[in-house]
Amino acid sequence: MKTVHAIAELFGRSPFGPLVHHTQKVHECVREVKPLVEAFLRGEYDEVERLYDRISDLEHEADTIKRDIRTHLPKSLYLPVNRADMLKYLKEQDAIADTAEDIAVLLTIRRTQIPVALHDEILLLTDKVIETSDLLVKAASELERLQASVFGGKGAQQVSDQIAQVNQGEYEADKVQTQLSRHLYEVEDDLDPISAYFVMKLFRLLGEIANHAENTGDSLDMMLSNQ
Amino acid sequence: MLTFILLALAIGLFMAWNIGANDVANAMGTSVGSGALTLKQAVLVAAVFEFGGAVLVGAHVTSTIKGGILAPELFSKTPEIFMLGMAAALLGAAIWLLVATVFGLPVSTTHSIVGAVVGFGVITVGWGNVNWETMGSIVLSWVVSPLCGGLLAFLTFTFISRKIILADSPYDATVRWAPYLVALVGFTLSLSILYKGLKNLNLDLPFMTAGPACLAIGAILGLSMRAWLKRRHRPTGFSVVAVERLFAGLQVITACYVAFAHGANDVANAIGPLAGILQVYQDGTLAAKAPVPIWILALGGVGIVVGLATYGYKVIMTIGHQITSMTPTRGFSAEFGAATTVLAASRLGLPISTTHTLVGAVIGVGFARGLAALNLRVIRNIVTSWIITIPAAGLISVIAFYALRHLFG
Repeated sequence: MKTVHAIAELFGRSPFGPLVHHTQKVHECVREVKPLVEAFLRGEYDEVERLYDRISDLEHEADTIKRDIRTHLPKSLYLPVNRADMLKYLKEQDAIADTAEDIAVLLTIRRTQIPVALHDEILLLTDKVIETSDLLVKAASELERLQASVFGGKGAQQVSDQIAQVNQGEYEADKVQTQLSRHLYEVEDDLDPISAYFVMKLFRLLGEIANHAENTGDSLDMMLSNQ
Repeated sequence: MLTFILLALAIGLFMAWNIGANDVANAMGTSVGSGALTLKQAVLVAAVFEFGGAVLVGAHVTSTIKGGILAPELFSKTPEIFMLGMAAALLGAAIWLLVATVFGLPVSTTHSIVGAVVGFGVITVGWGNVNWETMGSIVLSWVVSPLCGGLLAFLTFTFISRKIILADSPYDATVRWAPYLVALVGFTLSLSILYKGLKNLNLDLPFMTAGPACLAIGAILGLSMRAWLKRRHRPTGFSVVAVERLFAGLQVITACYVAFAHGANDVANAIGPLAGILQVYQDGTLAAKAPVPIWILALGGVGIVVGLATYGYKVIMTIGHQITSMTPTRGFSAEFGAATTVLAASRLGLPISTTHTLVGAVIGVGFARGLAALNLRVIRNIVTSWIITIPAAGLISVIAFYALRHLFG
């Protein structure tokens, strides 16, 4: 007979390890966006399909982790952080992976020829967006260790600084996105309206990853300071 | 008669085995869970300090339990009923503890014994002769002891977290504050032993002597701790890990403290009825306070070690493996809060439970934001098992009494 001792049962399952796991899974998803966009621009549509499958799988894994965290968070669980903040953080973080998947879907449904003049800037935007997500991962990966230091001290300060960098990253990605939209209309004669719409949508989705990363960082900050 | 005495001794040993299998394991689980002690070290610490606590401080509580619940005068004309009843109470409490161990319930040894004594009292001398005032204080202790342990643990962890973990340099803060914590443990521990404590060794110090002596002991311990910390190589960078490593050392001290407090409080309670039986056997008379011979406490000690070695280690492992967020700073706080409460209560002669207090202390650390998650739903089940302990142990004791009377009466 396997007995779970009641004293051991008092210790609820920590949500912080799974949260960091979710962070990593989401970021794995985001990292695939770069090769995805590259393959699309090169016209390697088989590769795009392959990467779509991979991103879709990773997004599904992140979803599973998210659901697992939620189901193990009953009201009777006393947490050292605000539960609502934690759930908001999880939701925003999950939205990053959802957006990465949206991009993959978009790139598989239409073989749009994007003017070569825009290629470099699209890759720059992609880099900026992934960089923002990178900064977020650095901050969010500290969560488990922060629990050990009661969500304070130098560790928390460091995370707060990293979150400020995420915001900076989003701001820079925004600027690149605006510039890119402007350049799109400069080459509008080379594009049919549907292609233009497609490219605009790609920009917007890329920018959204950075936006969600920023929101995730903000709710992480909220979670740490709202005690 | 000799057969009965031998049987009583065997029951006493069985009781002690159960204490080692469940109760002591509860007390040591937090030390193994945080990694401050290995399983073997925990068993060793438990064996040495439980024994020490039982022998040095334990005798205080014994008479209160046995004499407080039922007045011995009630049995002055029927001492053999008293002997049977005490044996039945021991057996009833031991069987209930065994059930609790199998189901992983952290119930109280002390309260099992009390429930068992009440059960036998009700069927022999009737409801009216049970001291319900003492019972009232036991019911009160279901609330008070976890609350006290919880509050002390909460304050201790809040102190550690504010002054050490959240400091600019947690390591330096540990070097600064840890000696005070050690001095405090040294002071309370030595006070519990020295102040009117060492009756067994004819060393009965009044407060005016014991107080300063204990302050001196605390100061010496604190100063040696500081000297030891200063000589260590300072790890580079700031890290809570280095602090936890230092606290693992401190938690060894609170682990000993808990084992000592448990020995003082629970072992003597549990083995007390046996002392009563032996007194009647030797003198043919009953007294409110049966002296507890050292060899009985030693017998209890042996039973506990066997209980630990044959089953308790499993319970310690179960608890230890599942409480990963119990790091040494948290463990130190919980154990300090629990042990201090238990020692104070056993010096006041209050029948409180080490296990109850420890459960409260763990919750206290959780409320001080020390734990990753605290499962509040379990509390209801735990408290239910505390309440059930009294009637359950009582009922089993009644059955045991009829069985024993059938055999020996």
